[in-house]
Amino acid sequence: MFVKDILVKSLTEAQRLGAEYAEARAESLFKTMLTLKEGRVEAAKQGMENGVALRVLVNGAWGFASVGSLDAETLTEAVSEACRMAKAASERLKNPIELAKAPVVEDRVRKKPKKNPADISMEDKIKTALAVNKNTMSYDRRVKSCTVDYLDLTGTNTFANSEGSYVEQDKLYVWSRMTASAEQKGVFTFSREEIGSTAGYELFDQETPEALGEKLAKRATEQLAAKQPKGGMFPVVLGPNVVGVFVHEAFGHLAEADLALSGGVLAGNMGKKIGSDQVTFYDDGTIPGAFGSFKYDDEGVRTQKTLLIKDGVVTGLMHNRETAEKFNAEPTGNARAEDFRVEPIIRMRCTFMAPQDQSFEELLEGVKFGYYFKSFRGGQANVDGTFQVGIQEGYEIVNGEVREPVRNASISGNTLETLLKVDAVGKDFELDSGRCGKGQTAFICDGGPHARVKEVTVGGSA
Amino acid sequence: MAALKKDAMIALAENAVTSAQKKGAADAEAYVYDGQSISIGLERGQITKSSLVVDRGLGIRVTINKAVGFAYTNVLEKQTAVEEAIVKALSAAKASKPDPDWHGLPEKKPFSSVENTYDPKIADLHAEDLVNITSTMLDAAVKGDKRVLAIEGGAGSGFGSTAIANSNGISVFDTGTVIECSVATVAKEGNTVTPVCFEFNAARNYAVDPEWVGREAARLAVSALKTKRIETQTTKLILTQFALQELLYFTLVNAVKADNVQRSQSPFKGKIGEKVASDNLTIHDDGLLAGGLRTSIFDAEGSPKQKTPVIEKGVLRNFLYDYYSAQKDGVESTGNALRAGYLSTPGVETTNFHVTPGIKSADELMAEVDEGLIIYYLQGAHSSNPVSGEFSVVATPAWKIKKGEIVHCSRGVMLAGNIFEVLKNVNVIASNDRQMGQLVSPWILVENVRVIGK
Repeated sequence: MFVKDILVKSLTEAQRLGAEYAEARAESLFKTMLTLKEGRVEAAKQGMENGVALRVLVNGAWGFASVGSLDAETLTEAVSEACRMAKAASERLKNPIELAKAPVVEDRVRKKPKKNPADISMEDKIKTALAVNKNTMSYDRRVKSCTVDYLDLTGTNTFANSEGSYVEQDKLYVWSRMTASAEQKGVFTFSREEIGSTAGYELFDQETPEALGEKLAKRATEQLAAKQPKGGMFPVVLGPNVVGVFVHEAFGHLAEADLALSGGVLAGNMGKKIGSDQVTFYDDGTIPGAFGSFKYDDEGVRTQKTLLIKDGVVTGLMHNRETAEKFNAEPTGNARAEDFRVEPIIRMRCTFMAPQDQSFEELLEGVKFGYYFKSFRGGQANVDGTFQVGIQEGYEIVNGEVREPVRNASISGNTLETLLKVDAVGKDFELDSGRCGKGQTAFICDGGPHARVKEVTVGGSA
Repeated sequence: MAALKKDAMIALAENAVTSAQKKGAADAEAYVYDGQSISIGLERGQITKSSLVVDRGLGIRVTINKAVGFAYTNVLEKQTAVEEAIVKALSAAKASKPDPDWHGLPEKKPFSSVENTYDPKIADLHAEDLVNITSTMLDAAVKGDKRVLAIEGGAGSGFGSTAIANSNGISVFDTGTVIECSVATVAKEGNTVTPVCFEFNAARNYAVDPEWVGREAARLAVSALKTKRIETQTTKLILTQFALQELLYFTLVNAVKADNVQRSQSPFKGKIGEKVASDNLTIHDDGLLAGGLRTSIFDAEGSPKQKTPVIEKGVLRNFLYDYYSAQKDGVESTGNALRAGYLSTPGVETTNFHVTPGIKSADELMAEVDEGLIIYYLQGAHSSNPVSGEFSVVATPAWKIKKGEIVHCSRGVMLAGNIFEVLKNVNVIASNDRQMGQLVSPWILVENVRVIGK
């Protein structure tokens, strides 16, 4: 039997068992992974995975089953178990789940990479990773370690639902994360870079091992002489990399409709002005080759460019079919699942701030004392609007000029208060690739221009 | 769905090893996993979903001329897929570079026994049982106080079985169960929404208390409603297990892993036998801890698990090793190899990282604090400097203690410092130890932490 027939058969069985909606998502994935530590290839790894995720809606409750098999009998057993569990879960349901309408689609989405990672030999991939390592380790004697992780994933994702949608999509991801540490007189510093693409292995033509190695090593060694930032409220200029993680963590998560419903601060603010005129954010799944891009999400909904906040006014949220129904909105194509082992949930794609008209120098002007935060180490947010972003590369600003580096800074604040304090936004624009954790991992992108915030809490130990 | 049988899993692993050797592998190791879990989920105050995940697969690690290759497949019913994985592992090894530090795979060694890691009652649970647990927890969370909203959570249970075979004659099998329930809450009053509060139970035996979990998550959320700003200051903190787990995972835990030490990524390098923490701090990595979430008889490459002293009365005693890092230092593995199931090669990781409890109860610890903060949830610990131990995190929220009582909470409070300095300022350790992830610890009272108010 063909995959399509097997999936359709399991959907028919779900309907026979009383499901008002059913979907099946079959995946066949191939992965290559490398980890290099100081140039030692820890292991060269290859993986093959096959599996099906089945999701049914019975009496308004979800049943989900995942099996690592495409066998028709196994799927029939799994789908009946999903229906049985959904019935059990629905027993005390007060507000049954309903889904917003989505167009029935039939499509085959093929990737046409210039350099397909599946066609590049393991030897070549190792060579590239070794080059990153060499350029990092040889930059400065104080660089003590370098880890290079590499992953490529290719394969197909086949989606079918009981409404008649059927979509076959190629999957292609190329990703690498590189870290370096430096040490001098008992001071340890740490630096990381992350790159990714859904276009192809040509990523390494744009992000060359030479440039990556230098960036990593330079940051790690520069921090050795950096001082601790002062703790307290300060004006800050944020680089595109930090703006990106701020948009993603501090605002993006709040604009995920499931979190908005769960007491998040945005639900009651639709159509209201919560930020300065300078604040316009998008979540966009359509940017060619970007790390969060795809054509259809894992509910078979076409992706789009979603306007979240325009000139400070909240205009939209990111939806799946379930939350779109609750908000009486259109699904935005944000339902994503990491793989067939998990159900799709609302995830960001490429989330960014729209550029305005200021030059970098104009942003610095008028800052008597503050910080320029160029690159982040990590970030996190809470539904009450508290956010934290750790900084891996930062500098003091004194009288409008970028001065000495600071290390281990972080910024924190409340999103709504902070958006009102964004007082100037640059005209440049950059995107960075990353991964986002929300129980499952999603490949995402974020970015924007440089931007200035009038004041924000800077955590430091000085 | 029917689980794989012990004999079938061992045979799969052994056959893969034999086949890899025939195809030219110098060393070969197969890791076979079979697991099933079911869960019931709640969202926004009601039970809405259920899930069954069946996951099984085989990972094969081989070497050719000291170069390591690895491949995995989750297609086990077809021998051709397993053979294909073996061929891919060998081709990956051929493409890779020799590692002069590679000294083979672990040898067969006797195992210690472990207690409370498998409960047949858990293996037999149905969705209906988990619906009951979730309902009890949900009712306990929202019945007492209308301001509390249970935003997500649920109950889950499952089993996992592992078989490992290697070309040194290791051929082992173990199986274990786990059950958990958890709920995340917020409290709402007027326009105020608290940060997300969270409680859970997790156990290897059928021993969860969903009523307590619900009640406690609600209590924390309600107590976060009354907020007041606090001043920037240096103060005492009670760190609960939530905060400790976050802070230690990215710092101390990394510092005691032998691979990080060998790579100069640990401030503890060369400090065995030296004082690195306060006198009252003793920590063991205990892979044999009865009922521990990370307890099993062998680690992810078939070495026996053990109880390893890491810090004794403030003195650094041992680093944690897998077989590779142990060979590099000429010592024995401490049974600390861990892997992401069949999907990855092993790496060094803690098992149950156990802080020895003291004698004072949690209430007595509170009573010692004239003025200070108690910290549950932290944000941003993953952005700590993993090498130096410096952190700059935000408490979501911090609760203010005055004369041993919680008086209000405070939002946006940042804590900054160096975890290794904090460990030297551990004042009192309570007796209320519980497990959270890899950490098993009681509450800890620390002094002189820099707190940045808003």
